[in-house]
Formats: sequence, structure tokens, C-alpha cells
Amino acid sequence: MAEERLVEVTDNSFETEVLQSDVPVLVDYWAPWCGPCKMAAPVLERIAGEYEGRLKICKVNVDEERDVASKHRIMSIPTMFLFKDGEVVDQIVGVTPNFENDLKRRIEPHLE
Amino acid sequence: MADTLYDVVIIGAGPAGLACALYTARNRLKTLILEKMIPGGQIYNTDRIENYPGIGRVDGPTLIDQMQKQVESFGAEIHPGCEVTSLEKLKDGNVAVLCDRHTHTARAVVLALGSHYRQLRVPGEEEFRSAGAGVSYCGTCDAPFFRGKDVVSVGGGNTAIEETLHLAKYARKVTLIHRRDEFRADKVLVEELKAEAAKPDSNLLIMCDSIITAIQGQGRVQSVRLKNVKSSQEQDYPCDGVFVFVGMVPNTSFLKGVIQLTEHGFIRVDCAYLRTSMPGVFAAGDCRVGAAMQLVTAVADGVNAAITMKQYFRDPQWWHMPVNDEIQPSGW
Repeated sequence: MAEERLVEVTDNSFETEVLQSDVPVLVDYWAPWCGPCKMAAPVLERIAGEYEGRLKICKVNVDEERDVASKHRIMSIPTMFLFKDGEVVDQIVGVTPNFENDLKRRIEPHLE
Repeated sequence: MADTLYDVVIIGAGPAGLACALYTARNRLKTLILEKMIPGGQIYNTDRIENYPGIGRVDGPTLIDQMQKQVESFGAEIHPGCEVTSLEKLKDGNVAVLCDRHTHTARAVVLALGSHYRQLRVPGEEEFRSAGAGVSYCGTCDAPFFRGKDVVSVGGGNTAIEETLHLAKYARKVTLIHRRDEFRADKVLVEELKAEAAKPDSNLLIMCDSIITAIQGQGRVQSVRLKNVKSSQEQDYPCDGVFVFVGMVPNTSFLKGVIQLTEHGFIRVDCAYLRTSMPGVFAAGDCRVGAAMQLVTAVADGVNAAITMKQYFRDPQWWHMPVNDEIQPSGW
């Protein structure tokens, strides 16, 4: 469980890690002051493990990586963008009561 | 099927669940807490708790971390990331707790499911929320994105006022919209809010007797439709963000048809012993009918369930006895 499966992405590495990825990428925009973001983190870890090889999960600290955050017009966190072949194919905002299942339902149609 | 029989399985590791586990674990009952995310619940998102007796001021994560360590030190197990999907009363009297990956069995179950934010249910709300385009339910999370912008906040309770004060540190202007002319929040907070709003250079505006009837904009929030409930006058009020703090709804949807709920989804209990419609299953905290939705009352519920549980273990028939002053659950 403690294993770190989420890839930290910066303004500089966004292009290679996310846009040029071979598999779909879920990008989680978060910040240290955000309680729901911390709650979402273990769920994302688990999903990353479950879909290993088919999905990559990255996280962007909006407090530090301001270019990417403002480019994607983040106004609410956590926000998760699902990228496929460099394009945004879905966007999930906030932690819903059935977060894990809701998230999987949104991700699965885009996986190979 | 499950391999271990627990004395008690607690669903939810918020204040109610953790307080319950503290008592059961200290009484050497084999205790398991199932938590769908990480321990904390709603209080985890609160950065300012100053009504927990004896604790001057603390933030949610710090308090929860201490509660969790205390509970674990007495041997309670916590399984985070475990979503419960249903409950089943077994023939032998135990209760099966069905999760997405496992089934656990317990002699008693405590539902400490907590609650989540209520929506306004006006046109535009869900659209802008799901697009992350200016509707939020967490001031602490999203205030920094509205630096130098104009926002409205909605509500009249403690959370609404605390979050409005927080927003005022970032936004250019914050307008608090409240449907009545009196606030149900603690007086100390109302006084603080009014004092802030009365300052000559204040960026805080209080608008009472008003409701939002729609959230509007092209691609992002640009205004709200406001209606004065006394004069019925309406106006478009420009803003870049809407922060909604209008109460909570219980996390009980998976229990429909399993346990008796009220029309609004709260778990029906006898408020003395916290017994639900399924023998051996207690409910504690925000999710039960009549909950005061406070940290302290959630904690108290957890402890009450732990204590009345003892009566049930001694005599399962106790479950069906009416609440009266001849039957007193005894403490540990």
C-alpha cells in the first residue's frame, strides 16, 4: 500500500509524461491544503495498481506547478483530467461519496 | 466468506467511528474499522475547530491523526480504502458486512457513515461544478483560485460563516447570501462576521432574505440570479465563483431497503441507545436521525453505541425492548 505509484509531474515534465504517454493518463491536480485531495490520494494509488500497464496516474501540485494549472483553468481541487493521445477526454471534479467506483466508471471506457 | 469473526465492525473512520473504536478496543473487543477513503470524514476538511471542549483550537487533520493513533494503540484495526456495499443479518445472529473485495462478519456493527455536502439544486450548479468552472463546496480547497476575484457564498450555519471569513482573505469581494435574516451559526462566529463586514474597507457583504435561483455564465460562472424572498425582486449579480455551504446529507444510499431510513436518508434509531431496524446494528454521528452534526455529538454517539452494545451482547432480546428508565445500559 505504501508503494508510490503516482508520478509527480511538473510544468517541465508535463509534455513527456502526459501528452506523449503511450497509455491514457489520469492527471490529478491537488494541493497540500486540500483535505479532499488527501482523501483521494489512496484511492488513486489503488486504481493505479489495479490498472497497471493500461493507465498512468500523475499528480500536479497546483501550488508549485502554476503554468500547467492555469493552462487547464483549475478553479476547484481535486480536479482530474483524463488524457488520451495528448487530448483531454474526460474531466472529474471533486470527491464524490462513491468516489472509487465513480472514477472507475469514467476511466474504463477509455482503456484498451 | 470471512475467516475472522469480529466483535464489532465499525463502518466509517470519522470522529464517531474512531470514538466508538476507542471504547470497544479498550474493552478488548476485537474491533475493525472499515473506511472507504482515509480516516477523518468531514472534520478532516476543517482547519479551525474551537468548540471541542478542553482543546483550545485545533485543525481537523491534527485531531484525527491523534484519534487514529490512540485507537490503534489499543489494538483496533483500520482498513482504509474499503467500501461497504451492503449488510446482511445472518441466521446465527451475526451481521455480514459486504465490501467490494471481502465480507467481514461481526457480532455487532456500528454505522458511522458521516455525511457529505448538500447541493443547492438550482440550474447551472451541477454543470459548473462538474466542469470545475466556479462552483465549489470547499472554501479551504478553492479560495486560493479566486484571489482578486468576486465570489458569493451561500448558507447560514457555522461552516458558511467560517468559510466566508476564509474566502475574504483571498477574494476581492465576498457576498454571503442567506435565505433568512438570522443566522443559525454560533453567535461568536456571527459577531465576527458582522464585525468584519462593518469595517470601512471591508470586502465582505452580507445579503439576507435572499436565495440563488440560478447560476449563470458562458463556460464559467459569471453571475447568479438572486431573488429577495420578501420583496420577490430578482437581479443578476455578477461573480466569478459560488461557494455553497447549505448543510449536509447522510452517506446512506447503499442502505436503502436494508435498514430503515427517513425520507431524507437518515438512519432511523431510537435516540437513546442508537439501535437501528437491524438487530446488532447501531448508527452513530451525522448519519442518524436527529444528529446535531457536530464533532462532539458524533464522538458522543460513538461512545454511546459502544456502551449500549454491551447490553446487546449480554442479551440479544434487549434489542426489542422499549426505551424506558428501567433499562439502563451500564458503562464498562
